Amino acid sequence: MGCYQAQLVPLEQNLVAAVFPLMKIYPAEFCLRQAREAGWIESQSLIVESSSGNMAMGLAIVCSLRGYRLVIVSDYACDPMLRRRLEDLGTRVEIVSIPAATGGLQCARLTRLEEIRAQEKDHWWVNQYDNPCNPGAYGSFAAQLVGSLGRVDCLVGTVGSGGSMCGTATYLRNLYPELKVVGVDTFGSVLFGQLDRPRKLRGLGNSIFPKNLDHTVFDEVHWVTAAEAFLATRLLHRKTALFCGPTSGAAWMVASLWARQHASSKVVCIFPDDGYRYVDTVYDDSYLASNDLYLQTLPTAPLEVDDPLAAGPVWSSMQWSRRSFDDVIGSQGKQISQQFSKETYDHGLAPSS
Amino acid sequence: MDNLSASRSFSQFTLWRAQQVPAAPCVALDTDLILATGTRTSIAQHGELLQGQIQDHEHRYRRFLVSLPCARLYSTVTFVPSLGGSLTVEPSHKIKAQRVVRLTLERFGLPHLGGLITVTGNITEGKGYGSSTADCVAGALAVADAVGGSLTEEEVAQLVVAAEIASDNFMFNRVVLFAHREGAVLAELGSRLPKLEVLGIDTDVTGVVRTLEYPPATYDWRQIQYFQTLVAGVERAIRYRDLALLGRVATSSAIINQRFLPKPMFSELCRLAECVNTVGVAVAHSGTVLSMLFDPSDPRLEINIRQAYLDLETLGIDNVLRFHT
Repeated sequence: MGCYQAQLVPLEQNLVAAVFPLMKIYPAEFCLRQAREAGWIESQSLIVESSSGNMAMGLAIVCSLRGYRLVIVSDYACDPMLRRRLEDLGTRVEIVSIPAATGGLQCARLTRLEEIRAQEKDHWWVNQYDNPCNPGAYGSFAAQLVGSLGRVDCLVGTVGSGGSMCGTATYLRNLYPELKVVGVDTFGSVLFGQLDRPRKLRGLGNSIFPKNLDHTVFDEVHWVTAAEAFLATRLLHRKTALFCGPTSGAAWMVASLWARQHASSKVVCIFPDDGYRYVDTVYDDSYLASNDLYLQTLPTAPLEVDDPLAAGPVWSSMQWSRRSFDDVIGSQGKQISQQFSKETYDHGLAPSS
Repeated sequence: MDNLSASRSFSQFTLWRAQQVPAAPCVALDTDLILATGTRTSIAQHGELLQGQIQDHEHRYRRFLVSLPCARLYSTVTFVPSLGGSLTVEPSHKIKAQRVVRLTLERFGLPHLGGLITVTGNITEGKGYGSSTADCVAGALAVADAVGGSLTEEEVAQLVVAAEIASDNFMFNRVVLFAHREGAVLAELGSRLPKLEVLGIDTDVTGVVRTLEYPPATYDWRQIQYFQTLVAGVERAIRYRDLALLGRVATSSAIINQRFLPKPMFSELCRLAECVNTVGVAVAHSGTVLSMLFDPSDPRLEINIRQAYLDLETLGIDNVLRFHT
């Protein structure tokens, strides 16, 4: 699986991109390795997980190589090409199309997962949102960064399960406690206090709160729109020849600004996957136009806010200052964020599959 | 004191050939073996820069360490072989030295040789100076000299680990990531450590740590994953002479070790170390000593070191060993 290691690509004088073909192979491999070591699974065990795509792919590869069976519950984000690859690796794929009243598609996927778990006696649920081995998997990545770059001053990346950012940042901060950590989220994701609503930008953000997201890791949080992230992804392709998915574009637009604003800091940004899955969406102008996602230029800087609900409708940022969610939003915040989704979905705003 | 001054002239190294004592009349064996007295000296260490556990490429768990060598500490072993008879050691509690001599004789196919082993030196035991490793390294080499054989550093490492189960790694004339319970080199880290100026102290003057009486640290999986970063860090720090990184790695390793073998006044000493502009601290992971690591190119080095002596004195520590790598 060495071919899935990140490539460190210098983009600016003080900005390095960690370009992963498929970052999720790190948590997939590590979660299964630890489960095997703990005796929770053995050869031919049934592994189950809910994933919109990349974790599924990572698990499918590892399960195929190590001889586990795999069931994935996914949604419309699992396109036919991805599905074919998963099935080629022996994965059973279940697609959920109706969002749950609270928690959207993520919750609907988890409900279906529970049904499968009730049917299958012997199985093991990876649970990437809560399994500490997800963030724990990034030890070798942190080692790669330190070995190649030495001191890193700032880490920028998108947040979905919290795994890569919280894991990498925690390992790095043991060595460099002053490391700045900048998380990139999207509008309509509850992770940093936005109200839940359907999102066109996938692979970051969430409708539920993963235990693996430790809010106190983050110094700064950005929210970007799907249109901005998609344009950034296209610009990244044209300007650097890096062919990546939209989360990379989102990370890049934030990281390059941060690097410009902090010329003496060494910045690393994480690019979690390559672009092949997005050829018919992000890389397709007619798709962008017909979905009202076409944008001509990127904002030069984010709107700076001090309350997540004041963010938007364009790229916005907030000093999170390593606070807990409750410290920023209040202890009722999590409930309110998720409750909102019920109303949104009731008004028929759910995404089409 | 000769050894002490001699040691200072060595900037990097681990051991050297002391004068090979021409000794008593040589004893000739029927196999043409010429026996002579062998005398060797080994330096020791002042704790470790890094100690932990990683998983290798095959996901096997490997414990490792990187010593902080200290040329001011040494052990000298003289071996006077005799045909037949037993192996005796002076002082008599140096059992590991006796064991390594036995193993080395076996290694050279001379299991029935006896003799007198004399261990001298200036290393206090149970502090993390690696006294028993120094005894064993000097012992193995003294035997090799005595029987006219030679040993590679790797062979010495194997013999020493076999004699004492867990050993330090200053038998190498280069920097290695050493699997101290296997005697194996896990990674080559470079030809020598970058130059560091060190103030060494004993955090617990009355305390004694006998390595084998303590169970090896049981690192959790997070720590084992994190050690990859420390290993990458120490590799890079040595390659690029990045003292700041080397200091951070050592400090981080020391902090992890607090959970297993806490040093008294650790946080006070860390704060003190920060105030006098050290690059970090290193501890003995199986002992009581702590090292404050200074960048020798710092123009304020002497001022900071003077301040450190004063600050240490206010903590009640007046026995300071100054050395450099």
